[in-house]
Amino acid sequence: MQDFLELAVSATASGCVYGLIALAYLLMIRPTGIINFAVGEWAMVAAFGGHLLLSRYEWLYWLGMATVVAFMLLVGWVTERVAVRPLVDKGAALLAPILALLGVLVITREIISVSFPPDPLPVPSAFGFGRLELGPVGGSYQSFFIIAVAALVFAGFWFFFEKTLWGKSFEAVSLNRRAAALMGINLSRVTALSFAGGAGVAGLGGLLVSPNVSAHYLMGVPLAIQGFTALVIGGVGRVEGALLGGLLLAFAEQFTARYAPIPSGYTQGVPLLLLMIFLLFRPTGLLKARA
Amino acid sequence: MNYLRWIGAFLLLAGLPFFLGSYYNDVYRKMLLWVTLALGYNFLFGIGGQVSFSHFAFYGVGAYSIVIFLIQLQLPLPLAILLGIALCVLVALAVAIPSTRLEGFYLALATLALAQLFVVVLNEGGAVTGGTGGLANYRLPEVFGMRIVGPWYTAVIVILLLITFFILLRLDRSWFGRACRAVRDNPEAAAAMGVDVARTKVIAFTLTSALAGVAGMVYAFVDNTVNPPIFGLENAFLILFMVIVGGAGRHAGAVIGAVLLFLLPFVLSPLVGHHHVLVFGLLVLGAILAAPKGLIGFYDSIRKNF
Repeated sequence: MQDFLELAVSATASGCVYGLIALAYLLMIRPTGIINFAVGEWAMVAAFGGHLLLSRYEWLYWLGMATVVAFMLLVGWVTERVAVRPLVDKGAALLAPILALLGVLVITREIISVSFPPDPLPVPSAFGFGRLELGPVGGSYQSFFIIAVAALVFAGFWFFFEKTLWGKSFEAVSLNRRAAALMGINLSRVTALSFAGGAGVAGLGGLLVSPNVSAHYLMGVPLAIQGFTALVIGGVGRVEGALLGGLLLAFAEQFTARYAPIPSGYTQGVPLLLLMIFLLFRPTGLLKARA
Repeated sequence: MNYLRWIGAFLLLAGLPFFLGSYYNDVYRKMLLWVTLALGYNFLFGIGGQVSFSHFAFYGVGAYSIVIFLIQLQLPLPLAILLGIALCVLVALAVAIPSTRLEGFYLALATLALAQLFVVVLNEGGAVTGGTGGLANYRLPEVFGMRIVGPWYTAVIVILLLITFFILLRLDRSWFGRACRAVRDNPEAAAAMGVDVARTKVIAFTLTSALAGVAGMVYAFVDNTVNPPIFGLENAFLILFMVIVGGAGRHAGAVIGAVLLFLLPFVLSPLVGHHHVLVFGLLVLGAILAAPKGLIGFYDSIRKNF
């Protein structure tokens, strides 16, 4: 039981990270239809930012975190300007920006691998290394920090989409771009904001997970796969779905790694397996979009 | 007359390595393998409109399976080849059937996960896959009492290339090729015309994956070693980039892209060392933004103007 609860805390923390990556996909898919594979790379960039500011220059954690997220917002905005908007303006097929973003993915990864040594680099956690016990439930400080931050972010985005006029305009664009434009919603601003927000959320996920996995230039692709699987499990329609999908995937992964008698590397097959099962039997995900 | 062309192409491509040294022969035949892969991928991506990252993984499935069936299990060559193809088809169907049911880019993500998993399986596979070191110290058994090495083996690769090209060309000009293009350009209209969209996608994916697997089988005896790093995601992206830069949907574009991006690192390495992938990324971004028809598009516009 102790073992189970310990695992549950760390799985919840990983699930929150997957959920954040899934949310990053969702923020961009909803208004534009574009699947941006570079979200994993964005998480990686933020992890390296964390290493640079927090480990090498030893900034205060809060200040470093805020700076990294602000920088990621800028990265997302610039990416949209350079690789997406020219194609959308030209009226190119949906595939074109997706492929352009794949180019961005490779360019991003190569810039990082040129700029930093190839070994995994340490990133400090928010409150150092230590254990927090809440009754029978115990876990590392970082696990609880991840859960708290993710809960805040998801609550914020839920409020944004459900309760504010701005959020409603995002929804309107995702339902019908043309009609939304006719209603006076600025399409290019919504698209730019969705990319900035996506990069910010993905970066936050990367920064939060990096103390556990270290900053490494190949960390992006697994996160991109896990985040997308979480999105398919939860359903692309709703913000809560991303979190639910992330949690489900993380629990499946960690319990397979802990209890299934297979080499631990094979747990990387869990996302693919879940992806196949959900696409076959429940392609809309667990939560349906509201009509 | 038509067959004379194919025979002429064979004699030209297969004759060339006899005049090359062993180093350039090696570069040449690897280039031919990339061209073979790019032609297959072009059918899937350029003509069929499907993004997949597993083309190179299937190349790896083919390479590993031929070594495992032929060398470790000591099966006869034709049976080993058939079993390797069957394995590729099974894996391809298992991934494609769920992923192509929906509109959208689910196949891209599923194949990305598959390619990632494939490398893990190779590394963790123990004695079967040789783990991180891969499999080595084997060679092609004698075929009809002949040992095929050096430029003669390059001739085998040329045969592979020409057969692959022949199959793809015939498919492209058949009912199936037109169905693929229709599905790419407008799935709803294709469905309205009586094309089974999902089935067309699954068949195109499975077929090109099997072709990649066969190319992998031939590759296994080029270096007489197969190991996990070769079949990583880097090369999966590279093959996509080759087709985009050369011109998606055109056989000539795939050939140009493959030759250019294969040879570019040799030219670039004195300038940028091992960071030629950065140049590839910039090339692709530039191609999509400025020249969506690829290099073959430039050729077309020049021909139109003169």
